[in-house]
Amino acid sequence: MNVFGVRGLRRAVPALLLVIAAVAGPFLAPHAIDAPVTMAYAPPEAGAPLGGDQLGRDVLSRLLSGGTALIVSALAVAVIITVGAIWLGCLAALSPAARRLVERGADIAILLPPVLGVMLIGMTWPGGGRLAVAAATVALGLPYAIRVVAGAAAPLTATGYIETALASGERLSYVAARELVPNLRSTLIALFGLRFVEAVYIISMAGFLQIGPQPPAADWALMIRENSGGILLNPWAVLAPSLAIAVLAISVNLASEALSRRPAVPARPGSARKAAP
Amino acid sequence: MRRGEPEGGELEGGELEGGGPPARVPTASAASAVAVLRGVVRLVLVRVSLLVALLALVFAAVELLPGDAATATAERGESAADLAARRHLLGLDQPLWTRFAAWMTALPTGDLGVSAHGRPVAEALADPFPNTLVLALSALALTVLASLALGCWAATRPGGPADRVVGHLATSAFALPEYIVAVALVLPLALWTGLLPAVTVTDGSGSPRSWTMLIMPVLALAIPQTGWNTRIVRGALADQAALPHVEAAVLDGLPARVVVLRHALPGAVPAIAAGIATSAGMLFGGAVVVETLFNHPGIGTLLAGAVSDRDTPLVAGVAACAGAVITLVLLASDLIRDAVVGGRR
Repeated sequence: MNVFGVRGLRRAVPALLLVIAAVAGPFLAPHAIDAPVTMAYAPPEAGAPLGGDQLGRDVLSRLLSGGTALIVSALAVAVIITVGAIWLGCLAALSPAARRLVERGADIAILLPPVLGVMLIGMTWPGGGRLAVAAATVALGLPYAIRVVAGAAAPLTATGYIETALASGERLSYVAARELVPNLRSTLIALFGLRFVEAVYIISMAGFLQIGPQPPAADWALMIRENSGGILLNPWAVLAPSLAIAVLAISVNLASEALSRRPAVPARPGSARKAAP
Repeated sequence: MRRGEPEGGELEGGELEGGGPPARVPTASAASAVAVLRGVVRLVLVRVSLLVALLALVFAAVELLPGDAATATAERGESAADLAARRHLLGLDQPLWTRFAAWMTALPTGDLGVSAHGRPVAEALADPFPNTLVLALSALALTVLASLALGCWAATRPGGPADRVVGHLATSAFALPEYIVAVALVLPLALWTGLLPAVTVTDGSGSPRSWTMLIMPVLALAIPQTGWNTRIVRGALADQAALPHVEAAVLDGLPARVVVLRHALPGAVPAIAAGIATSAGMLFGGAVVVETLFNHPGIGTLLAGAVSDRDTPLVAGVAACAGAVITLVLLASDLIRDAVVGGRR
């Protein structure tokens, strides 16, 4: 039953610690995120170890608060996509016509760069804020994820035990949950990890383009955008949130690679940033 | 699925010189040339129909908007009658299908519709779009070269320290958003040392004044995608390494470099081409973001304004252009695969 191995679990520790730290961060922040405590772009000083941002707000406090929404929404997106892909992918795997549809859906989704997709959905849903961005991320990621699951599940549907289960009249949902999913474990872990990284990528990029979170919210991507003008005065106002996003994305990526022993290999590599070869 | 028409070649054997597409067919008979041509036409049709489906989705998304171009550009105190008149002028009172058909049929002629400010979208894109394209395509070229070099280098030392370091670096790199890479580049290369210009300055014609202004944006785009594609190359070469002819080459005592380049790489080309082609969309999307950071005169700057103005026709027009470019790149990879598979037939 030990699919991960000690080594895999050890590599997942940094990612887990980081997620916990970011969720607990707002409670550790020494200052309010929206009150000036220093001069604008003040370099690190006694009360503010990372200095101040463009309005003199404490960079450390904003850093501690700025990851929660990003990580929680990225986790939610990854969970929704993975669960949705398991359902639709397993159903599609059982029917060749549905598989062709899934292939075409993923082929269409490649043609739309994620930034443009988020922009379009963000504009058609004004005031949607983070929810609109999360919905867009799900819509953009789902077609490919379904294809990965369907591709991995298709060979299994030809095996004797699945055919037996279907012939004995088990419901499709039962076959999917009890017979297919347990055999797709490593594919699904890789899928979840990569969807999380992808969600961090798209959601933070939307934040950078000021589509999701709006000022004065503390958000890592928004901090990079807002403070890039004063990068020479207080580099930490830009470097700290950049490092936070980089460490988050890299640690999750390495963790998901270590946890999924055999990374999912799609039959034909599809939209960028999905399963590793 | 996409490998031409295998049944064509053997039935008829006309000796006309086909001079057809670059498929390496052993006996260049007219029939097989026709079969290859039919395969190519089929690939083009599939890709084009996918693009049309995307455009239909984009159009539908725009239609879901509560307002339209007439209300978006409405001036204060305009009467309902004025609005209706303009809606008629813009053709917005036509049924949905008529407008979609009109939009679609106008696209190939270069007419992308009218932006919310009443300016033709094609005109608004004429200057910035080529700048973005140069950025994205240079990054694509760099990515192809770098990932092939790194992937092959790692493959000559399977399981060794170099292979593992390249693997971990690649995994780390492709997780990074482009704007983070841009920040990591701009501090040491521009702000602290002044080696490269930190922002793009344009000349009179609206293009960057110096090619050095392209270095950092291109690097910021290419580094994450190189990570991704290095993994593709390495994975495809690993698949090939398990094949009998490659194992035979190893057992014959050929040097690792020769085995990888001469025996493994040719068979890996279709998988690599397909993987790299999927980078096109990411590069294009990344370019939009990186341009904002470097103030590069591409569509990124234009789109930032379009979002605040809720100028959906402009975003839809950009999506159409981007979709067309990505379709071309994907088609190129389809054709490469077809040629390689066709040569083996």
